[in-house]
Amino acid sequence: MTERRWSAEEERYRAPAWLDRVQRRALLLGVFAALLSVVGALLSPEHFFRAYLVGFLFWIGIPLGLFGISMLQHMTGGGWGLVARRVFEAASRTLPFLALLFLPLLWGRRSLYVWARPEVVAESELLQHKQPYLNEPFFLGRALLYFGVWLLFALLLSRWSLQQDRSNDPHLHRRMQILSSLGLVAYMLTASFASFDWLMSLDPAWFSSLFGIHFVVGHGAAAFAFLIVWMRRLSGTEPMADVVAPRHFDDYGKFLLAFVLLWAYVSFSQFLIIWSGNLPEEITWYVHRQEGGWWWLGIVVFALHFVLPFFLLLSPALRREPARLALVALPVLVGRWLDLHWQAVPSLELHAPLLHWLDIAVLVAIGGLWLAAFLWQLKRRALVPIHDPHLQEALADA
Amino acid sequence: MAQEKLYGVMAEFDRAEQLIEAVKQVRSHGFKKLDAYTPYPIEELQHALGHEKSLLPRLVLLGGIVGGVGGFLLQYWSSAIAYPLNIGGRPLNSWPAFIPVTFECTILVAAVTAVLGMLALNGLPMPHHPVFNVRRFALASRNRYFLCIEARDPKFDAAKTAAFLWSLNPTHVAEVEV
Amino acid sequence: MADGSASVTPAAPTPLIAPGHTTASVTDKIASVVLQRTPRWFYPAFGAAFLLLMLFLYAVTVLLVRGTGVWGLNVPVAWGFAIINFVWWIGIGHAGTLISAILLLLRQEWRTSINRFAEAMTLFAVACAGLFPILHLGRPWLMYWLFPYPNTMSLWPQFRSPLVWDVFAVSTYALVSLMFWYVGLIPDLATLRDRSRHWFARTFYGVMAMGWRGSSAHWHNYEKAYILLAGLATPLVISVHSVVSFDFAVGVIPGWHATIFPPYFVAGAIFAGFAMVVTLAIPLRAVFGLHDFITARHLRNMAKIMLATGLIVAYGYVMELFFAWYSGNPFEQFMVINRITGPYRTAWFALILCNVLVTQLLWFPKVRRSVIGMWIVAMFINVGMWLERFIIVVTSLHRDFLPSSWGMYSGTFWDWAVLIGSIGLFLSLMFLFIRFLPMISIFEIRTILPKRSRGEVS
Repeated sequence: MTERRWSAEEERYRAPAWLDRVQRRALLLGVFAALLSVVGALLSPEHFFRAYLVGFLFWIGIPLGLFGISMLQHMTGGGWGLVARRVFEAASRTLPFLALLFLPLLWGRRSLYVWARPEVVAESELLQHKQPYLNEPFFLGRALLYFGVWLLFALLLSRWSLQQDRSNDPHLHRRMQILSSLGLVAYMLTASFASFDWLMSLDPAWFSSLFGIHFVVGHGAAAFAFLIVWMRRLSGTEPMADVVAPRHFDDYGKFLLAFVLLWAYVSFSQFLIIWSGNLPEEITWYVHRQEGGWWWLGIVVFALHFVLPFFLLLSPALRREPARLALVALPVLVGRWLDLHWQAVPSLELHAPLLHWLDIAVLVAIGGLWLAAFLWQLKRRALVPIHDPHLQEALADA
Repeated sequence: MAQEKLYGVMAEFDRAEQLIEAVKQVRSHGFKKLDAYTPYPIEELQHALGHEKSLLPRLVLLGGIVGGVGGFLLQYWSSAIAYPLNIGGRPLNSWPAFIPVTFECTILVAAVTAVLGMLALNGLPMPHHPVFNVRRFALASRNRYFLCIEARDPKFDAAKTAAFLWSLNPTHVAEVEV
Repeated sequence: MADGSASVTPAAPTPLIAPGHTTASVTDKIASVVLQRTPRWFYPAFGAAFLLLMLFLYAVTVLLVRGTGVWGLNVPVAWGFAIINFVWWIGIGHAGTLISAILLLLRQEWRTSINRFAEAMTLFAVACAGLFPILHLGRPWLMYWLFPYPNTMSLWPQFRSPLVWDVFAVSTYALVSLMFWYVGLIPDLATLRDRSRHWFARTFYGVMAMGWRGSSAHWHNYEKAYILLAGLATPLVISVHSVVSFDFAVGVIPGWHATIFPPYFVAGAIFAGFAMVVTLAIPLRAVFGLHDFITARHLRNMAKIMLATGLIVAYGYVMELFFAWYSGNPFEQFMVINRITGPYRTAWFALILCNVLVTQLLWFPKVRRSVIGMWIVAMFINVGMWLERFIIVVTSLHRDFLPSSWGMYSGTFWDWAVLIGSIGLFLSLMFLFIRFLPMISIFEIRTILPKRSRGEVS
C-alpha cells in the first residue's frame, strides 16, 4: 500500500512514538524465542508441536476475540468500543499473519492428531466412522475456509472503517453494521468448528456439543483481558490519554467480569452434565484430567480464570483504575493459556510433565512475533475512527 | 412554643436545577438536618446532600455468603450425614450436584437482604410522616421538587428559616406540622 | 448515555419517548390508565380470559379427582404436556427478567417503557409454569415434601436430582422476580396514592407504597438496591433455565444428554420471551394509545434480540445434528433420524419452519418496521418454541434404547384444556395487572426524559 498523506484530524490521533520501541523489543524477543523453539523442535518434535498448538490457539484467540467484539460493537454501539475500535481492527488485520503461523501445525498433524495416522484409523471402528470428517484433506480445506471467512469479514470491515475516516460517508456506518451482523453468525460457526478440528479432535473419541461455545467465550475473556492491558498502556500518553476515560475502563472491567462468569458457567455446565451422565465415552476425558498434577492445574486455572478476577472485578473502584484493572487482567490471560494447555496436553500424553520449557519458549515466540505485527498494524492509522457518527458522544465521556 | 410543634419548613421548586442549587445554598449556610424530595432519583442532588456511601452492597455480599455456605452445608449434611444413601453409585458428598442449589440459595438470601436491607435503611414501611401534612406535597410524586429543613437542626428558627428559603426562589414555602 | 442511543442508525434517529412530554404529562398519562373508569372493552376481554381460567380450574379439578390418568401420559412417555408447558411458560418468563435486569445493567434506556409489564409477564408466566410440575406430581397436595424441612419421616430431598434443583431454582426465581417487581413499583404506587381520589384506592395504594415519600436519602439506597437486584437477577435467570435444561441433560436419554443444553435453553427462553413481549405489547399500546412510550424503536430492538437469540437456537440445532453423527453413537443417530423421518416428523418440520425459517424474516428492516409483520413472526415463535419442547420431551422418550418399549404419545382433551386454560390464567392476571397497576414505570420514564423537559412546569 502506498503511504498517503494524513489529514490534520488524523494527525491529531497518530500513534505515539514509543510504540516503535515496544514493537522492536517484541520482535527481538519473538525472534530469539523462535530460534530457541527451532532448536527445541529438532531435539523433541513431539513437545514442540503440542507447545505450538497451545501457543497458537492462545494467541489466535486474542485477535479472533477482538474481531468478534468489534462486530458486536458495530451492532450495539457504545463509547467503550468506539475508542478501542482501532485496536480491534489492528488485531483483526493480524489474522493473515496468523494464517501463516498455522502452517507448522499442518507439518505436525500426525504428531498431534491420532486420526491422521492411517495405522491407528485402520484399527478403530470409531475413527473409521468419523473419517468423512476427520481426514487430512478436509481438515486442511476447513482451515482454509475458516481463515477465508475471517479474513473476508475482518479486512472488509477494516477497509470500510478507513474509508469512513477519509470520506465521511454516512452510509458506511450502516454498511458496517450489516456486515457485522452477518460476520458474527459466520464467526460463531467457523470458530466452533475450528475448536472441534484443532482442539477437540486431539481426543477423537470424545465430544461435547458445548465445546464451540466454550472456545468462543474463552476468546472473549482473553480479548477483553488483552484490551484492558493494552488500553491502559495506550491511555498513559497522548493522544489516547484524552480519549479513554475511567468510565470506559469500568465497561471493560464489566465485560471481563461477564466473560469470566460465562466461562465458569459453560465450563461447569459441561462438567456437570458429563459427570452426571457418567458415560464411558465422555467421562474419560475428565477422569484423565483428575490424575496427578492435572487436577491441581485445573484448580489453578479455575482460580486464575474465575475466582480471582470475579471477586476483584465486583469492585467498581477497582474497575475505574486502569493500573489495578490491568493487574487483574493479566492472571486471566495466564489462566486462558493454562486452560488451553489443560484441555490439550492430557489428550496427547497422560503422564506428560505439567509444563515443558518449550511450552514457554513457543508461547513467547508466537507472542513476540504477533505483538510486533499487531503494533505495526496499529501504527498505520489514526488511533480513533475520526468520522464515526457517535465519536463525539464517546469523547464527551472522557 | 409554636416552634416545637413544627417538623420543619418546606420549600417547593419547579425545576430540579433550582432544588440542587438551593440544597447547596442551604448546606453552605450551615444547615445539617435537611432532606430533599423528588419524583425521580437525581444523582447530582445526592452528591449535593452528601449521600455518598451506602451500607447496602456490603450487606448483600454478606447475605450472599451466608446463603451460599448455608445452602451447601444443608445439602452436605442431609445427603452425607443425616441420611446417607447410595444413589447410582455417586459419592455421598456429590459436590458437583450440589452447586446449582448452592447457587440458588446464594442468590435468594442476597436478594432478600437487598430488599429488606433497603427498607430497613430507609425506615420503611412508615405509614405516616409529617411531610405528608403539606397539601402540595402530593406533587412530589409527580413533577415538583421539595426541600425540607427540619426543626431539629440547631440553626432552625421557623420564621428566619422560612424567610431564608423564600430567598432561594421557590414557588411555595410551607411550615410542616408534626 | 451513548450506549442507549447508539444502537440506532444516525440517519433515522427515533426518540425513545415521543417529543413534548414532561414529567407531569407522563405521570398523568400513565397513571390515568389505572385511575380512569374501567374502559368498556375491558369487560368482554377480561371475561374471555376469565372463561379460559374457569376451563383451567375445571380441568385441574378433573385431574385432582380422577388422577393423572386423564392426561395422555404413559410409559415410555411419562413427561408429556405437563413438562412441555412448564418449560414453555418459564421460558416466556425469562424475557421479563432480561429486560428489567440485563438491559438495566447494560444501560439500555429503551427498556424503561417495557420493563414493568415484561416483569409482570415474568411473574404470571412463572406462576403458570410452577403449577405444571406440581400438578404432574400425582399427589400435588404433598408438594411440600420437595422442600428440605425437618420431618417425622427423617427424609430429605434428593439433592443429586435435577428435579430438586428445579424446585429451588423456580421458587427462588419466583420470589426474586416478585421482589424486583415490587421494589420497582414502590415509587409508582406512591404516585397513584397521591393522585387517586377514591378513599379505597388511596388506602390500597398507600399501604402498598409503604409510606414512600421520594426522599433523596431513600432514593440513594433504593437505587443501590435496584441495581443490586438486577445484578443478582441476571445470573439467576441464566441459572434457572440452565437448571431446567439439566432436568433433561443430566440423564442419559439420547436427545436429552447434550452439553450444549444450558446455553441453548437460555437462548431459547429469551427468544420465546421476547416473542411474548411483542405479542402483548403490540395490542396493549394500540388499545391504551401508548405509542408515545412504546415506539417503533422498541419493536425494532426487540426484533433484533429475537433474531439474535433465534440464531443461537438454530446454532443449537446444527450442533445437535452434527454431534449425533460425530459421536458415533447409534442411539444418538437414530434419535435424529427418528425426529426427522419418524411419526413426529410433521412437528419437527413445523418447528424448523417457525423457529428457524420464519425468524430469518427479521433480517429485513421492512419486517422489523411493520407492526403486523412483527406480530405474526412473534406468533410463529410462540408456537415454534412450544413445538420445540414437544419435540425434546416426546421424541426422545417415545423411542429410546429398547424397541420393545417404544410407544406413542398424544395429548388428551384434558391436556389441551390445561394448556389453553393456563393461557387464561396468564391473561386474567395480566388484565388485572394493567387495570390496577401502572404498566409502564412512571418514575423511570421521568428519568429518561430529556433534561430540558424534566423540570418544566406542566
